[in-house]
Formats: sequence, C-alpha cells, structure tokens
Amino acid sequence: MNLVIRTLSAAAMSLAVGGQAMAQDAYDIGALFPLSGHTAAFGEMYRSATSLAVEHINADKFLDKPLTVTFEDSQAQAQTAVVAMNKLVRVAQVPVVLTGFSAVSKAIAPLGERDEVLVINGGASSPDLAGLSPYFYNVIPLANDEVKTLLPYLAEEMGARKIALVYVDDPLGQAVVETLGEDAPKNGMELAGSFAISSSTSQFASIAARVRQTGADAVFLAYFGQQLISLAKQLRDAGVEVPFVGISTIGDPNFIADPAGEGTIYVSQKTDWGADDALTRRFVDGYREQFGKEPTPYDANYYNATMIVAKVIDELESDGLEVTGKAIRDKLAEIRSFRVVGGELEFHDDGTVTVPSQINLIENRAVRVVQ
Amino acid sequence: MVNYFANLVTVTGISMILAISLNLLIGYAGIFSMAHAAFYGVGAYVAALLALHYTAELTLAVPLAMVTCAAASLLISLPALRVRGEYFVAASLGLQVIAFTVFEQWHSVTGGLSGLIGIPVAELFGYSLASPLAFMGVTIALVALVALAVICLLRTAFGRDLRAIRDDETAAAAAGKNVAVIKSIAVAISSALCAVAGVLYAFNIAFVNPESFTLNLSVLVMAMVIIGGAGTITGPIIGAALIQCLPAALSWLPLPPQNIGYLQQILYGLAMVLLMIYRPAGLMGKARSKG
Amino acid sequence: MLLLQLLLDGIQSGAVYALMAVGFAIVFGMTRIFHYSHGATYLIAGYGFYACTSVFGLPWYLSVLAAIVLSAGFGALVQLLVYRPVQRDAGSFFTVFVASFGVGVVVENLLAMMFGSGFLSVTSPLSRAQPIMGLYISQLGMIIVGTAPLIFLALNYFFDRTSVGLALRGLADNPDLVTVYGLSAKSLFLIALVLGSLLVVPAAVFQTITAGLTPSAGHRVMLISLAATIIGGIGSLRGAGLGGLLLGVAESLSFWRLPAGWSDAVTFLILLAFILLRPSGLLGQKVRV
Repeated sequence: MNLVIRTLSAAAMSLAVGGQAMAQDAYDIGALFPLSGHTAAFGEMYRSATSLAVEHINADKFLDKPLTVTFEDSQAQAQTAVVAMNKLVRVAQVPVVLTGFSAVSKAIAPLGERDEVLVINGGASSPDLAGLSPYFYNVIPLANDEVKTLLPYLAEEMGARKIALVYVDDPLGQAVVETLGEDAPKNGMELAGSFAISSSTSQFASIAARVRQTGADAVFLAYFGQQLISLAKQLRDAGVEVPFVGISTIGDPNFIADPAGEGTIYVSQKTDWGADDALTRRFVDGYREQFGKEPTPYDANYYNATMIVAKVIDELESDGLEVTGKAIRDKLAEIRSFRVVGGELEFHDDGTVTVPSQINLIENRAVRVVQ
Repeated sequence: MVNYFANLVTVTGISMILAISLNLLIGYAGIFSMAHAAFYGVGAYVAALLALHYTAELTLAVPLAMVTCAAASLLISLPALRVRGEYFVAASLGLQVIAFTVFEQWHSVTGGLSGLIGIPVAELFGYSLASPLAFMGVTIALVALVALAVICLLRTAFGRDLRAIRDDETAAAAAGKNVAVIKSIAVAISSALCAVAGVLYAFNIAFVNPESFTLNLSVLVMAMVIIGGAGTITGPIIGAALIQCLPAALSWLPLPPQNIGYLQQILYGLAMVLLMIYRPAGLMGKARSKG
Repeated sequence: MLLLQLLLDGIQSGAVYALMAVGFAIVFGMTRIFHYSHGATYLIAGYGFYACTSVFGLPWYLSVLAAIVLSAGFGALVQLLVYRPVQRDAGSFFTVFVASFGVGVVVENLLAMMFGSGFLSVTSPLSRAQPIMGLYISQLGMIIVGTAPLIFLALNYFFDRTSVGLALRGLADNPDLVTVYGLSAKSLFLIALVLGSLLVVPAAVFQTITAGLTPSAGHRVMLISLAATIIGGIGSLRGAGLGGLLLGVAESLSFWRLPAGWSDAVTFLILLAFILLRPSGLLGQKVRV
C-alpha cells in the first residue's frame, strides 16, 4: 500500500514538475484532432504532419525555446472537443490550437475567442467556417472557392456539359449545391441532378440508377471519409462510367489508393511535390523518409499551420513581445501573407485564405497534376 | 485549471441527469428504452431555439423543454407501451433512428447537420452564467433536484405501483392497476427529467448538432445505469461519474494516443460483460441471487 | 425503367438483408437471447474474409471457409463464455442483452485496432454490373439473389425434417420437452448460436466485396436484422427472410421520390408500424400484447 502511494505521488510529482518545466522551457501549442473513433485516420494524418513540422522547427533552433505540441482527442465530436479544448486552454494554457472538422471547429471557436486563443483549421472546408470569430483562421481554402476553380477546367478541358451531384446534406454539401447551381451555367454547363445522401446511408446502387438516368458526363462527389470510397465503388459497380470530379475532400489517400478513384479529377491547393524550393523539398523528403508514403494536401496544411505559428512566434521574439494567443493572432493578421509549402498563402480578415490551387487527376492510384 | 475542472464537473453532471432519468425507466419501471438520446436532443434543441430567438433564461428554458419532451414522449409511448420487453427495445431503437433523421433533415428548425451555432450564455433570474464555475453550480443544483425528484417520486403510491409492475406485470394488472397509464406517466417523467440535461448541454456547448444525439449516446447512458447499478439511487450517479471520467483519466496517462479511444471502448464493453456475469445488479446494486 | 431498376436493386439488397437477418432470427427465435453481438459476428466474418484474401492471399473458397470457421467459432465462444454464465441463474432478458452488447463493443474496437477504422473492401470483377436490356445487375448480385432462396429452402428442410431442427423449434416454447429428442437444452443453445453465426457469412462476404467494411457497420447490421426479424414475426425464419426483402425493396424504392437521407427512417417507420399494428409480424404466431 505504502509503496503504491509512494510510486503514485512520485509519478504525480514528476508530472507536475515536468509540466512546469515544459511551460518555462518551451513554447507549447495545442492540437485537437480525432485520435479515436471512425475519423481517427484523419487525426493520425494531421498529427504526423504537425510532428514533422515541430521536428524541423526544433532542429533549426530558430526559436529561443523549443516548440512542443500537446495533442488532445476530439473524436470529431462537439462535446468531447469542448472538454478537451478547455483542458488545452486552462490546463496546458496553450496560445494556439490546431484543429480540423467543422463540428469541432464551430464548437471550440467561441472558447478560443473567449480566452484569446488562436484556433487554426487545416482540415475542414465547409464555407460556414468563414468569419467564425476573430480568433479563428483557416489554412485550407473553403469549398465554395474550390468549386469555382474547378468549373472552368471541367467545361474547357473535359468538355463536360451536364453534371450530376451526390452530396452529404451538410454545410459543405449545401455550399457545393449552391455554387454549382449558380456557376455551372456561367461556364456553359448544366446541373442535371443533385442527390443528397444521409451520413448513415450504405447502399448506393439506387442512387447510381438515378445518376445514370441524368445522362451526366461528370459526377461531382461532395463527400469525404470512408463513405466516399464506398459510394464511388458502388457507383462504378452499378454502371456509372463517367469520371468523378470533386474538391480537396477527394484527396484522401485511401480514396486515391482505391481502384474506384481511378480517373477522378479534383481541385486542391497547390502541392507540387516535385518542386525544388527548399521548403517543399524538406517537407516532402522528410515526410517520405519518416512515414514511407506520399504526403497529402492535408499533411501540407498542418505542416504549414505549424510553420506559420513558429514564424509568427519568431517575429514576436525579435519584437521583444510576450508570446500570447492575442499577440500571435494580431501578428498573424498583420503579416497576412506567408511563404509555405505549395507557394504563397494569404489570410483574409474573415479568417479565410487564398492559396495557389491546382487540378489533379488520379491515375494508376497516384495523383498527377494536370493544371 | 479551476475552469477546466468546472467544465468537467458540468459535463459529468449532465451525464448524471441522463443516467438518473433513464434509471427511472430501466431500474424502477422495467422499461428498456434505447431512445434516451432522442429526448435529450429534443430538450437541447428546444433550449437552443428558445435562446436564439427569445431568451436564454433558464427558469423558462427548463420548464419549456420538460413540457415539450413529456408531451413528445406521451405521443409516442402511449401506443408503443402496449407491447412488452423486446418489442419495446426494438420500438425505441427505431424511434432513436427516426429522431436522428428528423434532427438531420428538418433544416428550417434544427439547422440540419450544420446545427445551431452561437447559442447565447445562459441566464438565471437575469444573472448571466458566463463563468464556468457559476454554470457548474447550477448544474450541480439541478442534478440534486433531479435526484431528489426521483427519490420523492419513488416514495409515493405511484412509485410503489411502478415497482409492482416491474416485478410482475400480470399480477399488477390483476390487482387493478392500469399498467399502460402508469408506464406512460413514467416515460413522460423520465423524458422531462432528461430534457433538463438537454438544456444544460445546449448552453454549456453553445452549439447543437444531430451528431450529439445518436444511438451511441443512448447506449452509453444505458451503460452508465447498468454499470453503476440499475434500480439504485447512487448507481447511475456513480456510473455516470465513472464513464465520464474514464476518458479524462486515461488521457492523463502516457498511452499511445492512437489506441486510447479503442481501449476505452473495450474497457466499457468488458465491464458490461463481466458485470453481467458476476454482478448483474451493477456496482452499487445488492449482489442478490436472482430467482 | 428507373422504377424497374430500383426494384431490382431493392431485391438485391433485400436478399442481403434477409441473409443478414436469418442468423439473428434463429438465435432470437429459438433461444430468446437478444443477440446484439450478431453485428460483431458479421464483422468477424467480413474481416476474416478480407484478411484471408487480401492479406494472406488465399483463394476465395478457402477464405469463405475461414470466415465460416471464424464466425461459427465466435458464436460458440459467446455462448460458452458469456451467455451460459450469464444465464446460469436465469438471467433476465435484459442482462443477456447488455452482456451481448458489451461483446459487440469489444469486437468492434478490437477490429478497429487491428485493421484501422477506415473502409476496406475486396476487389472482384464480379461486382461490376453489366447492362442487360437496359437494366444493370452484377454477377455477384445474381449469385446472392439466387443463393438466398436456396439457403432458406435448406433451412426449411433442416427445421421441418431433422430431429435437431425440430428440437430447436421446440426450444422456444418448451425447453424441458426438447430432451425427448435426446439433446440437452444446453447443447441446443450452442447449436443455435453456431448455426445463427455461420449463416451470416454469405451476407458478410457479399457486402465486403460490394459495399465494403468498416468496424462500425455492425450496429446497422444488427438494426436491420432486428427489424427484419420482428417484421417477419419472431420465430419464423421465412418471415425474417420476407422481412429483409421488404426492407430492401422499401429502402430502394424510397429513393424514387424521397431524398436519400430518409431511407433509414423509412426502414424504421415500417418497423414501428408493425410493432404497433401487427406485433406478430408477417408470419409469426399471435403475440399477446
């Protein structure tokens, strides 16, 4: 019994001491990712990219103190995220939290504003994440902008005239419906049919029958996650032969690796892994070496987000300012534009971002940039 | 630090209210409902809509949500309670799925999957409850009130009737009890108490979307009741505290984070199985021999 | 034409639902165990099949065999290690249900730890649909639509003509009586669980190839099985088959006019209607309400 108490208190002591020591000797930032549950695959991806950035930052020693990240699990759910966010803000007292997923972003944004903690989203692209709070920034372009980038390519290069849309009835899906409805005619195309699917649907043969009936020459998939692959596979199996098109949600490595993804055309932010600028080389080579696979745009987003935070802290250091959430947010809004993997990134006042984008084609289970 | 724990206590308190109200059905009335999350959701949406359009006053939001939930539950339970046991489980499962679909599809009211954001800070008699400590205080008070309500209810003649039905429905009916009416009232009371948790949830998170009211939550609340001990007063409270604190406790440990979530779930699952084998009355229940 | 195609798709998913449900219907109908971990059995069969074909590279027939062995073994283990101890002193219906639920949770998360939480599927050219007179159906779809009636016919024979089958049918009504067939109630429970578990294999294999697998798919399988069993009438296997077919067709036809988001609600509205208006189901015995 005595031994147990002694061990426990020793452990508690070391934890407490360790915690204090960390707070003094390092810049700690928070990351709220789904580390468990059915979206854990995304959280894992976000986490590896964030860790890689931290590794590079600390190897360069360009900050006065090392950068550390406290990871918390959001399970991609609002309530879990709020509890975890409170822990990050109140216990770990981080000035910045990286996150993803729109429900989580919307649930924690008010907490970030209340406690002056900067929240950066690199994963969710639903348009209602614009102007969420002065402390909420996206490093990922939102869906409506991406659709506008994609449409001219579909009309001019692919010669598409009729588009059918399959979407989840969430803000992302609704934004795509709206933007397609408005912008497709401007590009000489017609939205021939749009089909909303519940997040729990698992049989898609009947949807395929209706998609075939529209006679569309491209099927827009406004989807993400595991359902996307199941949907694409079942559409193909049920005789939908025309190419799939979509936005950056398509760039899921599992989808790219799946035969159902073959021939899909989608827009994403610029991720020319072959580019020879130092920043891109280091990210891509480091990623390949450490994880033995190709990075995705999401990886680049979280790598970039972490790098941007480090750069802002660096600026604050040279200005001799204290590193707080408010200071980081103000400095970020002041600098606005950053050199990142993929090119130049510029923040806007409503928390959205402009980054160079590209059109990709999935070919032989790999991504090829076509424009 | 204080605010983090205040928030944790609030979240745990909300689970306690859920578990206490479900225990009234599972433990005392012998009704196994899998639709508790649906009523929780109705309570949360009522509070959210009221706060967004009229007032964030708790003294209004709580009664309104309770009445709405009770009315909704009566509408559904009056016919559904005609059937027994496994049929009611199936009916409540169906109800849970349908409720989720309604939350998800009724855009004009629930905001669909994007949910309702920007719910204002709750007020009590006009005083703002912006501080997590104040909100925690209100939550604790409401947990106590809900527990007290259940204790008092069980001491009345109605409470005795309920247990009589649980123990032997046929005998109770033979003794002249109107079983269907008594059961329906129990469901209505349970749903009304559950609505209190929904109101607190909406104000605490300030964001409501359908994903918070899924079958998984119904199951989790059921696990709280069962693990703590159905048919006891302390059981659901202990069960809720255990299940709510487990993730928080585990996240302090240096485990490989990618597996923490799964391990947690496996622990719940194992606990349910082992308890049913060795101590079916739950942690707080008497280890009585069943016959 | 669209309607005809939707009907065809509905029959195909109906056949799958029927095959999902029949195992649950056997366990629930014969033993009255609310076998929630039926969904877990489905996952074990599906992931077993996936692991054998895609990880170990075994031919398909060996993989199916492995899936059968795994799921039957799982059914036996659940009966011996969980249901039998829980029921040793007449555990209530709900106690067994909770234990079964716990098993389901453990299996789902173990599989997620082993295979990841993402989507997995086995690729086969047989799942590609070819147009026949304007209608699309895959070879695999034809196989499953053809297999389902055969399995139900075989089960019919088993339960009507063999002594074990007759004993199993008697189990629900009078557990003491079944000893006249020379079998103990204990061994009959075990047989019901093993039989009910291995019958999920065709549906699991089919779904693994067409729709794919995730660890959370078990809940839905369970809900469909329960709905089909109740709609068909508890205790009636043919009823469960018809119930599954009805659900598949209704779900598919609902796409004709309703947004796809409502398909789940359609399934469960049918279930609620049956529970309220006709709890004995399509072919079940009259239920006292």
